[in-house]
Amino acid sequence: MREQDILTGSLLEDTWLTLEQVAAACTVEPEWLAYHIEEGLFPHVEGLAGTWRFSSANLTRARRMWRLERDFDAAPELAALMADLMEELDTLRRRLRRAGLA
Amino acid sequence: MQFKDYYQTLGVARDAAAEDIKKAFRKLARQYHPDVSKDPDAEARMKEVNEAYAVLSDPEKRAAYDQLGKGYQPGQEFRPPPDWAGGFEFTHRGFSPAEAADFSDFFAELFGRMGGAREGFRAAGVRAQGEDQHATILLDLEDAFHGATRQISLRVPKLDDRDRVTLETRTLNVQIPRGVREGQMIRLAGQGAPGQSGAPAGDLLLEVQFKPHPRFRVDGRDLRHTLPLAPWEAALGAVVSVDLPDGPLKVRIPEGAQSGWQLRVRGKGIPAHPPGDLLLDLQVVLPPAATPEAREFYATMARELAFDPRAETRG
Repeated sequence: MREQDILTGSLLEDTWLTLEQVAAACTVEPEWLAYHIEEGLFPHVEGLAGTWRFSSANLTRARRMWRLERDFDAAPELAALMADLMEELDTLRRRLRRAGLA
Repeated sequence: MQFKDYYQTLGVARDAAAEDIKKAFRKLARQYHPDVSKDPDAEARMKEVNEAYAVLSDPEKRAAYDQLGKGYQPGQEFRPPPDWAGGFEFTHRGFSPAEAADFSDFFAELFGRMGGAREGFRAAGVRAQGEDQHATILLDLEDAFHGATRQISLRVPKLDDRDRVTLETRTLNVQIPRGVREGQMIRLAGQGAPGQSGAPAGDLLLEVQFKPHPRFRVDGRDLRHTLPLAPWEAALGAVVSVDLPDGPLKVRIPEGAQSGWQLRVRGKGIPAHPPGDLLLDLQVVLPPAATPEAREFYATMARELAFDPRAETRG
């Protein structure tokens, strides 16, 4: 394996991206994302001078909320509530897996 | 190319009202929702349902589909008429370009794939840069401790010379940063789908997952390990060695430790920034009373210690 063939990635959590880059990573539209961040529907998002630091968990959250709003015409707040519940479900499922129960 | 019966996919009649189509779509979207469905084909089914809905929920596309599809049966070989223009203006229905690009060849033939779909989205203000692509990378826990170079193979759709979509296998060697955690995304800038007319390529986002480890469970940054102890190590305290992925670690067990206790060794979990902790679940294991000497030891303990393990459970 030649050295130049090896790709070095950066961790999403550690990377500052433009709104467009974050939106593309979430496969949503930038306007949609901007509105939802503004409305406080993404917890722990850091923004600085037009760039954003987005956690992997928030990326999954964006895709879930986008889908709920599109498929069911859900209000953004309702989609966020559903996303909260799904995240809690994820946490509980992880705990079950760790306990060897799932 | 086979004809696709979108009405059958959604389970509605050909003359169904728009409202009924929406209802049928929502019912299926709920049934095959990736976070809920236990059906292993849920993702593929949802793709079909999305595609059918993208056509039938749009009056223009539905009319064109109805007109073209007259006389065709599902699965029948389909060929659009020679004067078919394709390349519809892709009215925005909330399907992202990445999803639309995933629709079938049948859809692409009728309504345009790259051209039609992306053109519409570009008009709606979305860049013409290549799409970001998502994939999962399965790592050993050891990779998070040492960092590693891993090879991954991706199957990516590509347009051939005759504008047909083919799947191409692409192999990449990826440097895994030390301290990576489960669920994190490794972003490889410019390694996603190529852009159009010289626009930059999208990114490749790799979601990290760990293979199950025989001795450790991973909880975010923390590592959990069940540590077996001899009764005298627990009772008298001891220094025991735990083999971590980056070498052995000496841990002091306090005097009087019990099964079910958890010891936290700070900073000895996944070497992230900040590093996680090592959580040791103590489990006292009794030596078997398999020899006369061992039985005699237990008998002596019973006589000498006057120990009642159920003292606190009595009423």
